[in-house]
Amino acid sequence: MRVLTVDDSPTILSMLNHVLKEAGFEVVQAEDGQKGLDAMKGEEFDVVITDINMPVMDGIEFIKNVRASGAKKNLPILILTTESSPEKRNLGREAGGTGWIVKPFDPEKLISVIHRVVH
Amino acid sequence: MSDLDEFKATYFEECSELLLELEEQFTAIEEGDHSADRQNAVFRAIHSVKGGAGAFGFEKLVEFAHSFETLLDFVRNGQVELTSEVITLCIRSIDLVADFVGAARDGEELADDFGAEELARFKILSGEDEEEPMEEFDIEFVPVMVSVGDDDEGVTVSADSDEGDSFDQAPLEDGLRYWKVDFTPHYELYERANDPLLLFRELSSLGEAKITAKLLKMPELADFDPFGVYCSWEAELHGDGITEEAILEVFEFVEGDCDLNIISVMANADDDLMPQVDEDLIAAAASVEEVAASTHINALEQESGEEPQEPDENSADKGLSLADMAAEIEPPPPPKPEVKKSTKQAAKTPTVQSIRVDLEKVDRVVNMVGELVITQSMLTQQMDDQLRARYQEMVRGVEVLAQTTRGLQDAVMAIRAQPVKSVFSRMPRLVRELASKTGKNIRLEMVGEHTEIDKAIIEQLSDPLTHMIRNSADHGVEIPEKRKAAGKPEQGIIRISAEQAGGNIIISVEDDGAGINRVKVLELARERGVVGPDQQLSDEQIDELVFAPGFSTADAVSDISGRGVGMDVVISNIKKIGGSVHVRSSPGQGTKMLLRLPLTLAVLDVMLVEVGTGPYVIPLSSIVETVLCERADFGYAPSGRRVLQIRGEYVQVIDLAVRFEMETNLKEHKRFVVLCEGEGNSKIALIVDRIIGQQQVVIKSLEENFRRIDGVAGGTILGDGNVALIVDVQGLKNTPEQKSAA
Amino acid sequence: MESFENRESGDIEHDIASGNSMQLIAFMIGEQIYGVEITTVREIRAWDGATPLPNTQEFVRGVINLRGTIVPIFDLRARFGDGITNTTKNHVVVVMSVGEKWVGVLVDAVSDILTISKKDIHKVPEGDNMDSELLNGIITHDSKMVGLIDLDAIVAGVKEES
Repeated sequence: MRVLTVDDSPTILSMLNHVLKEAGFEVVQAEDGQKGLDAMKGEEFDVVITDINMPVMDGIEFIKNVRASGAKKNLPILILTTESSPEKRNLGREAGGTGWIVKPFDPEKLISVIHRVVH
Repeated sequence: MSDLDEFKATYFEECSELLLELEEQFTAIEEGDHSADRQNAVFRAIHSVKGGAGAFGFEKLVEFAHSFETLLDFVRNGQVELTSEVITLCIRSIDLVADFVGAARDGEELADDFGAEELARFKILSGEDEEEPMEEFDIEFVPVMVSVGDDDEGVTVSADSDEGDSFDQAPLEDGLRYWKVDFTPHYELYERANDPLLLFRELSSLGEAKITAKLLKMPELADFDPFGVYCSWEAELHGDGITEEAILEVFEFVEGDCDLNIISVMANADDDLMPQVDEDLIAAAASVEEVAASTHINALEQESGEEPQEPDENSADKGLSLADMAAEIEPPPPPKPEVKKSTKQAAKTPTVQSIRVDLEKVDRVVNMVGELVITQSMLTQQMDDQLRARYQEMVRGVEVLAQTTRGLQDAVMAIRAQPVKSVFSRMPRLVRELASKTGKNIRLEMVGEHTEIDKAIIEQLSDPLTHMIRNSADHGVEIPEKRKAAGKPEQGIIRISAEQAGGNIIISVEDDGAGINRVKVLELARERGVVGPDQQLSDEQIDELVFAPGFSTADAVSDISGRGVGMDVVISNIKKIGGSVHVRSSPGQGTKMLLRLPLTLAVLDVMLVEVGTGPYVIPLSSIVETVLCERADFGYAPSGRRVLQIRGEYVQVIDLAVRFEMETNLKEHKRFVVLCEGEGNSKIALIVDRIIGQQQVVIKSLEENFRRIDGVAGGTILGDGNVALIVDVQGLKNTPEQKSAA
Repeated sequence: MESFENRESGDIEHDIASGNSMQLIAFMIGEQIYGVEITTVREIRAWDGATPLPNTQEFVRGVINLRGTIVPIFDLRARFGDGITNTTKNHVVVVMSVGEKWVGVLVDAVSDILTISKKDIHKVPEGDNMDSELLNGIITHDSKMVGLIDLDAIVAGVKEES
């Protein structure tokens, strides 16, 4: 199973990487939305985990872009969020986000959330 | 857990970058650039600091960063105005965040009220309630109550939910109750890549689930919408300890994207509610997702002018898969990640954006590339005309090799190069602190912070730069009253700049202060015996005295610059990395200190010379010119020392053969003078036996296996495998006279 | 000598019990044999000149390039105060590690590898200043005296000139 993680924080990326690899996932990392899109070119992922606040291209734009390409319509996208405000989360959902993960994440929860959206 | 330590290390590294970013952005904001980009950047930076801090449970840092972030969020939304008061608060708070981070890193406890004042200011400015809990860090995956308000059909949320928490939390009593879940997805649910199958799989992990699909209304084929919703499901969930909350959590992500009805059923009371599984319905139902997928293909095929396939064929086909699905769901599948990966997938290497490499590994490459460059230049040198004529192909090959090697060298150096910004950005805080300690009004200006320079040099730059700025703030810039009296603006300016000039990086620290008080400096120098009573010094030489060990010009020794410890540190640090320091001062107008640094420490351009039987190299950067001895104008100073007279200047002469105790049988006039420039433009003339040529060398340590030798900066290995010694020009100049005048 | 007798009678049993033996590389300077513990030896190579170092003691012959690192060469004959070796291609450099450092000593020839018992090592007779300064002990092998080089002492002699 392949996961694309998109976050501008190296800490979060490396923690995700560690937890996901431990659970047997193959992980690809990207530091912002644009790099996330680049990483998706010609690549297949089973799930994408993305932050909202990022430079260059934020998570909302990123999700919109992914959804805009018809081929990725069924790709689950989880939003990483520390935002308590439901508006932010809803923005992500409206853009096409499948679900969300609240930072700081608990490794077990993270994996279980992924299983809620991935076959 | 060592992994955790590693994450922490990554986090703290990230924090220092983020703090630099904050510093830089706020400097620009302070200067009046209130652009959205900057406001977003500072928000993101503090947001990231908080995110990681939360992950490690650095609660104080989280709390502070959270309030900071909230304020910045209000600022960028225009709810709080970016007044100078807010900016000042933010800039001060960056320092506090740095302290919080430092305390978290070093496991230190800060005082309970550390940053309390700023925290309170944040809250007042953001209108934040002091009591508001920081929920996002206390709870994870908060189940959100399903409220399907936007749907007029009004699917009722569990009838019990309104009656209070007691029932919600209470698990179902064994065998007495089960849950019935009606679920009708909306179109949007599929748009967001949610999948009923997964929801049911999740549901069935709670207990024993029986899932029945119901066909709602199949449209005419012509009206069939590939993404339309024609199916709903009903699930019956049996099991111990299942709470409504848990069920709601399963549907958390599809809140608003479906009609959901959760009913607690008394099993004995109402057997009629036991759903009848209608085989026909199952057969007729379709997994919407898969139909959608196949229809999508149809649509594409239609576009390309081909016959559309019959969708009903498909749905009948898929009906089976749904039956399979229902069957599959009944025993809850253990949720475990798929580990299997096909080799094909593994071969498709993912795009990696960056990797972390041990600096030692990079250095090894740098070193080897250095050797390669030398071997290559040696090869090129040996190409004489005869060889060129005879082996044209080989010569071309060597030329290509030369080019590639240079390219390789640049590329490797680029790996190590970093913008000086990483050092410069520490300075604003320093200046702020110095200004507040001294009661002076100082503005820091930075120029060229994107200039790139070798990492090893950057690391050596921090201390000297700090000392130089301290010196400027302490001794250079005057107190506001004095400045006013001198007709200057009250605010003093310290300006640091970096630029590349040829093979060097020039870093300057300049202030518009009073300049060096030469009378006082000279007086002090004589008092301390740094300068002899009869010794006459030029203005430049007096200025250079500020770098002399143990020298301080302050009338009262301040707690900032200390007792002259520091400026000599500048010199020794800079010399260590092959650089030099100059100072220029204009009384009443200011002082400028210049650091000249090599671009890289790995390769050195040198002139290869011979003294006695030994090969020596002299760094090209310090050579002014070479003259044959018989054409040189030697003379003797009153002290008896030999001097070279060149363009009106008298230059100290050192015969390297004498200085290095090497025997030479060459006649004096056949030997060469190499005129070198040391620190502060002071020159020195070295006499050598022969000049062999120019080349690049890799510096090797003599101390690794031996010890330091006066007048020798290190060793290097020549193309023929022999060792040559690197002449330490500045060192020779500084050593006592007797050795060279012998 | 008295000290020899004392030592042998006192320590024999202990030395045998611990089975202490060691291998030496033996080399010649003139007629005199010296040895160093074989585990310290990194490389033996023919003398091929060295780059002289300025302002160092007479016995420091200079430095050579040993696969990219610069290694100093000490003239052992000169170190023992018998004048500088008149080098030929037949002279040998024994490179050894002393603590963290690698150093080479210039000798006339490498003669043998000897296996000795530590119990046979005798103290250096006092009075003979150079020997007592630079030797760890003396051992008799095939009726010839072998001086055990004290590498630390050799290196320690390289003080920076004041």
